Amino acid sequence: MPLFPLLSNPHETARELIDLNQKVLKGIESLSHIREQDIQVGASAKEEIYREDNLVLYRFTPMVDQPFRIPILIVYALVNRPYMVDLQEDRSLVRNLLQLGMDVYLIDWGYPGRGDRWLTLDDYINGYIDNCVDVVRERCGFGRGVQQDGAPSRDDGGDGINLLGICQGGTFSLCYTALHPNKVKNLVTMVTPVDFHVKEGLPNLWAGCNAGAQGMDIDALVDAFGNIPGEFMNLGFLMMKPFQLGVGKYLEMIDILDNEEKLRNFLRMEEWIFDSPDQAGETFRQFMKDFYQGNKLIKGEVKIGGQPVDLSTIRVPVLNVYAEQDHLVPPPSSVALGQYLGSTDYTVRSFPVGHIGMYVSGKVQRDLPPLIAQWFKERG
Amino acid sequence: MHWTEQTETMVKALAETQKQMWKNWFDSMPGVPSPTSPYWGVTNHGHEAAAEAFKTWTAGSDHLITDVAGRLLTTQDHMLRILELSLRAWKAIAPTTESGVDWQTALHTYTDNLRQQLLQFPQEMQKACQDTDELLRVYSEQWKGLMQPWTESLHQTPWHFGQAATGHGSALMELTNLYWDGYESTFGRLLQSPSLGHTRELNQDILKGFDAWLDYRRAGFEYQVVLGETWVHAFEEFMRQLVALTEKGEPIPSVRKLLFLWVELVDQVFTAVFRSEEYIRIQGNLVNTATAYRLREREIVDAFLKTTHLASRSELDEAYRRIYELRKDVKDLKKTMQAIKGEFSTQAQKEADRGLPTDLPKDTA
Repeated sequence: MPLFPLLSNPHETARELIDLNQKVLKGIESLSHIREQDIQVGASAKEEIYREDNLVLYRFTPMVDQPFRIPILIVYALVNRPYMVDLQEDRSLVRNLLQLGMDVYLIDWGYPGRGDRWLTLDDYINGYIDNCVDVVRERCGFGRGVQQDGAPSRDDGGDGINLLGICQGGTFSLCYTALHPNKVKNLVTMVTPVDFHVKEGLPNLWAGCNAGAQGMDIDALVDAFGNIPGEFMNLGFLMMKPFQLGVGKYLEMIDILDNEEKLRNFLRMEEWIFDSPDQAGETFRQFMKDFYQGNKLIKGEVKIGGQPVDLSTIRVPVLNVYAEQDHLVPPPSSVALGQYLGSTDYTVRSFPVGHIGMYVSGKVQRDLPPLIAQWFKERG
Repeated sequence: MHWTEQTETMVKALAETQKQMWKNWFDSMPGVPSPTSPYWGVTNHGHEAAAEAFKTWTAGSDHLITDVAGRLLTTQDHMLRILELSLRAWKAIAPTTESGVDWQTALHTYTDNLRQQLLQFPQEMQKACQDTDELLRVYSEQWKGLMQPWTESLHQTPWHFGQAATGHGSALMELTNLYWDGYESTFGRLLQSPSLGHTRELNQDILKGFDAWLDYRRAGFEYQVVLGETWVHAFEEFMRQLVALTEKGEPIPSVRKLLFLWVELVDQVFTAVFRSEEYIRIQGNLVNTATAYRLREREIVDAFLKTTHLASRSELDEAYRRIYELRKDVKDLKKTMQAIKGEFSTQAQKEADRGLPTDLPKDTA
């Protein structure tokens, strides 16, 4: 029988373990000196311009004198906090868009409380998103000829603004655009699920895309919990790669324990990963049953506030960006959009990263913001 | 070096290293006394002492820091265990190959033993689910713990129940006390107590809750079994990979690389199982029975709370629903008013442009 396949001899192995242990202990000591203010998220200056219930609409302070005239409204998913798009100075889609001269707004959904369990998809899409779009249009003088500050309106006769929907926010943006076509000029969807019955996706399988209620009884879940706890959602995400996310990541972390800056970057990501809001019950019910289990979006059977959502009525230009190694929203789920849109100006782009990599990968941050900015400017 | 010498030396070195790591741990703790030397190592007492020391060390830290530090330590622990497990597995299968037994068979026998150890608890618990009397006792213990504060308060203030019900306070008080005495002592006696109108529904709710609880426990054990089986299978694959690397002459350069290999492989094995219909059925059953039990639990608590001055979850949700509907109505009204005001403004502007007087209220400008 050959030797156990570890190159190092027992003493070298022991040395390696002791060294690792020393690093871990020193790292824990470093960690114990870090305070909450040291790992603040959000790199870019912003102001609150509208508030409704838990929602806050922010405008990021432009970084050029004359930002591009059609503003971008970022619509993020409900399942995680939106500060991921502005996590830190060198990992900020928002900051890069601002530097490219764009005028950027962001919807912060806040944290649903027990009283919000009755909020529906209609409330989110025809309520909150529509109100935010109207606020942005009003500020820019769309349809009135003059902006709120008295400057000439920035619209070109059309009434629409640019939407950038991310993940579930992209699905919401698609629904919104189908229902309010006159208010959207151009649409970008990022890592957005469209076809929810792709077998590659564990979230799809676990949500019952094949097994239906036997895989997950959504009605019972909502009736039992009201709002679906953020911890439940997060556990589901972690279980998709339990050992990499529970062990491997922290093994890699050992290498950065003596680098304060890298450690703080790591901790910002950890902050975001474990900062999962509860999901408003009735919204969760409809989204999971109609989209994940029923796959009604591509069938044209989704109804929001009694109105049908038909992707084929979307005629605005659409840029669809997906992640090639996305295990949460598999590429086929996003790519399917092209088959159902009515738009003749449809562009697809991909990056060789995973779902989270779309926000934080250095390469993506170098290439994605110019792609988006240029695409919007060409259609402005 | 012969493999026996290698593995024995490695196992000894690992034990010594773990002791040294514990010593380093306590030496690093500011102001924390270390346990006496007989407890160093991987005994439970050492773990408990380390856990207490960890709490002291990170007491002033944000919860995020504490959680991350905790996961770092768990990762270190995991690394040691995997190394130890794989060394012991190697040590167990190697002698059999020298006696001519194929190593795959030897490995399978070893992991079978591992499987039996890992799955012994959930399988025994699944069998225990047949023993209804014992389970009734455990179930009622759970409810006693939950209800204790409320039953005590009821005993102290039984007047409100009787008076609120019929006005014949003393008679109902006696019945109430009888009921709660019966409930508190044994489940069986409760079931034999007179089925009065106000207790019959609660009895039924409790029985339905018991059935739901049983289903949930069975589903939990089934889930543990499938996870345990998958883990053993992953370990088997890991050992096969190690043998393959050895046969190719490609040893792993470090313990960290060994663990990275384990992490990559075990996730692949788990993901394959996670996609299977059988696993989805088992996981779905766990989630669904847990939620069904939670719903039954709420029915019981709601029924109990009806006898107190406290609002139940269901009543609060209903109040929230009314608030939500009213809020929507108010928002719609505000929007309509804004639209009307806008129309008035536009109309007034047009009339002003034509030189006509306007009769607008002052605040519509």
